[in-house]
Amino acid sequence: MKKLLTILGILGMFTSCNMYDDAPVIIEPMDTAAVDLSVELPELSIYNLPATWTTQNGEDIELQELRGKVLVMVMIYTSCKAACPRLVADMRNIEKQVPAEDLDKVQFIMVSIDPATDTPERLKEFSKENLMEEDHWMFLRGTEEATREFATVLAVSYKKISPIDFSHSNIISVFDENGVLVHQREGLGVDNAETVAAIHEEVSN
Amino acid sequence: MKAVNRISMRIFVQFFLLSALILGTFTSCEKVVAAKEDPEMMKVYGKSEAELTAPPFVPRPVGNRAATKLVVNMEVVEKEMTMADGVTYNYWTFDGTVPGSFIRTRVGDEIEFHLKNHPDNKLPHNIDLHAVTGPGGGAEASFVAPGRESVFTFKALNPGLYVYHCATAPVGMHIANGMYGLIMVEPEGGLPPVDKEYYIMQGDFYTEGDFGEPGLQAFDMNKAVEEDADYVLFNGHVGALTGENAIHAEVGETVRLFVGNGGPNLTSSFHVIGEIFDRVLVEGGDLVNEGLGTTTIGPGAAAIVEFKVDSPGELVLVDHAIFRAFNKGALGILEVEGPDNTKVFGGKIEEKPYQPVDTKTPIDGDKVENEGEVKITSLSEKMERGKTIFSQTCFACHGATGGGIPGAFPPLADSDYLNADVNRAIKAVKRGLSGEITVNGNVYNSMMPPQNLSDEDVANVLTYVYNNWGNKKTEVTEEMVKEALQ
Amino acid sequence: MKAIISRLAVCFAIMIQSQAFSQSGDMANIKGGEFLPLYGTGEPVVIEDFKMDVYPVTNKEFQQFLQKNPRWRRSEVKKLFADEGYLIGWKSDLDYGSEALANAPVTNVSWYAAKNYCECEGKRLATVDEWEYVAMANEDQADAREVKDYNQYILGWYETPNTFNNEVGSTFKNYWGVYDLHGLVWEWTLDFNSVMVTGESRKGSTGDNNLFCGAAAVGATDLMNYAAFMRYAFRGSVKANYAIKNLGFRCVQDMNTKVNL
Repeated sequence: MKKLLTILGILGMFTSCNMYDDAPVIIEPMDTAAVDLSVELPELSIYNLPATWTTQNGEDIELQELRGKVLVMVMIYTSCKAACPRLVADMRNIEKQVPAEDLDKVQFIMVSIDPATDTPERLKEFSKENLMEEDHWMFLRGTEEATREFATVLAVSYKKISPIDFSHSNIISVFDENGVLVHQREGLGVDNAETVAAIHEEVSN
Repeated sequence: MKAVNRISMRIFVQFFLLSALILGTFTSCEKVVAAKEDPEMMKVYGKSEAELTAPPFVPRPVGNRAATKLVVNMEVVEKEMTMADGVTYNYWTFDGTVPGSFIRTRVGDEIEFHLKNHPDNKLPHNIDLHAVTGPGGGAEASFVAPGRESVFTFKALNPGLYVYHCATAPVGMHIANGMYGLIMVEPEGGLPPVDKEYYIMQGDFYTEGDFGEPGLQAFDMNKAVEEDADYVLFNGHVGALTGENAIHAEVGETVRLFVGNGGPNLTSSFHVIGEIFDRVLVEGGDLVNEGLGTTTIGPGAAAIVEFKVDSPGELVLVDHAIFRAFNKGALGILEVEGPDNTKVFGGKIEEKPYQPVDTKTPIDGDKVENEGEVKITSLSEKMERGKTIFSQTCFACHGATGGGIPGAFPPLADSDYLNADVNRAIKAVKRGLSGEITVNGNVYNSMMPPQNLSDEDVANVLTYVYNNWGNKKTEVTEEMVKEALQ
Repeated sequence: MKAIISRLAVCFAIMIQSQAFSQSGDMANIKGGEFLPLYGTGEPVVIEDFKMDVYPVTNKEFQQFLQKNPRWRRSEVKKLFADEGYLIGWKSDLDYGSEALANAPVTNVSWYAAKNYCECEGKRLATVDEWEYVAMANEDQADAREVKDYNQYILGWYETPNTFNNEVGSTFKNYWGVYDLHGLVWEWTLDFNSVMVTGESRKGSTGDNNLFCGAAAVGATDLMNYAAFMRYAFRGSVKANYAIKNLGFRCVQDMNTKVNL
């Protein structure tokens, strides 16, 4: 028996080659406590921005009211033909990968960079066209100034290039329950696995 | 029965172990083999900070070390420095020097690049390393505003010598202001060892003033677009490699130069006066050329040249587009010290005068005096000389064989006029002749101008005439001429 | 909601007070017009009449603002609105250092701080187009971009280090009566994030459609205008919370703005 073990041990030596690791990217868990709304907002929270926004249902809300949910945000405009349809598809793709039981803790938000055209009515229409009528989908518009300020926090750049068209960066951002930015992904049709992982991380802690 | 079992068991075990040993040695894991051939699969060991050096020095060779995770820390500094005597310029630099620090890595290294932009700087910058396989060579990933640091990673996949430079708009201006340098990716096992290694990078500079105009010179965009350089320099300023900054080697040593060209516009014809490149890694890649005198290095390119220095002296590094070397500063010195090697270069062994002897001194019709010429004395020499003079001066009127032109110019062949009086002939040549004369029964009434000839030449030409075409063979001497003219 | 009201109240109070002090200082009237900016869609841009601060905001002026707005002091400002470099050169919350710097432009301030300062004066930051419109001018004419030495002049300044310690008004007075748009510090603009320039500047005007939707529509109209190129590159490299040593700001005001509650 001993001999057999020694043999196996020696053989073991010869089979230890370099196995190339193909493990997926692990996202380090964040050290955020559970949300206590009486606690002061962290300094980096977007809820520090004072502006008021209007939803597709015509309600006026302050961003702060969303505190407690994990936010997945993107900035688009409804008359966009090029990237926005793809951004919307990306958002949908991400939403599909979030487990059903987590969905009520997540808010998918599309903020318009063209508040003049994207009235609440228009946003409502858009949500219908894109089958995004469930509660976890939200469309927001604000004043020109508030929009510009909001964009700077997301590091989204945009410029009006014609009466109906904008040039803008394509970024999807994830915020934790306290409104602190935890993840961003730039580009279209990119691999959304990291974004989904980030959402999962925030929901489950 | 037990004993037999035991023995056979032992044999079996030993056989098993032996075969396992043999198989283990010869069949490596597929992936290990793959790693040796494909740099992308190379595994990295440990983490360390890269040693960066200022020109003209380079970091230690990688030698045999394994691929590692290498952290490179580089800072962009915008500062005013001396470009030439009395001339300063606002350079934009990587790590405060032009060219920037030399980065030395090995194929398979995973590099974590930290680019810092000093808070006092005015502009955003970034870096594009030609050794990077990835968008912009790292330009987008490293774009950084003043007072900030950006970090990006890449894996060195190809060995070679590569240029790096800033790629922020306007790119030409950032490069022209000095934002370039070299990164060496050594192959596995490293480059073959040599005795001395140096770092040299050529660049062209465009200033508002001309070459040498004193004071702080501003960058001139128009000249840069026209590719009209004022300075073409090795290592960023005049004198970077001369005088006390010259680089050194000893006789018998092997020298390797990592030579780059930051541009922005001009191609270098790199040559070391007095040396031949034993080996040139053409354009910094795998191709090796041997025994080259000069190698071409375009902007954004680099080459490695290696040579053994065999005899002492000053070797001059130049861009052989030669006006750049002597009028724009593209000049450096490699001082070689050691014992003379007279077989390879014997130096000057003798000097003596050189004066070729020339009998056919040309006559110029306007020349008055034949100064310092060797005197012609023999008859044959006089005839030769006289013939030459005749063919230049006299034949036009009197004909090549002295036949003259009837009714206009008297003949000289078999001329009774000539043969009767030598002195009269001499005076005619020297002082001219006009009025009616009769030669050989014909009347001529013309004007012969005085000939601008020395006494000696008058003697020579008349000797020639008198000894040809049936004339009385008289030798006319210079003394006779002088006497006749008194 | 409470937070907003109290914030606005403070701001209005200061605004009224500042009118009394004429803190808003000198402003120049800019006559509107049409021009083709270096970076844009290639279509001319229309600028309405407006007023622009003659000088950038100084250290002394900003200090007075901080006295009334403690939430913008270095020790109290929220990290969302300012990075670690915010007022890093100041000795303490309200001390900008030596008196020599009193009239130097305030720098190391974030966009949020600059924006708020202007709002409290009843003004706002200039848009990129407005700023560039006024900056086109030299001493004699409103649009000096074709003047041969103009670009060279500005480029020369961009190469001069450490101009942020100079006093406001130390450069030239342009056609509109505005000083220091060139040669002192960079300046924040209201929509600096409309400049979609990445670190990769060599793709030219083809843009990166993946990163920026519609990017191909926005490009540089004149590659030779290198001075402007550098300004746009700078704008593209910063984020709103950055505090940079060479970056200050000034305010502008729409023509028909009236201060009323």
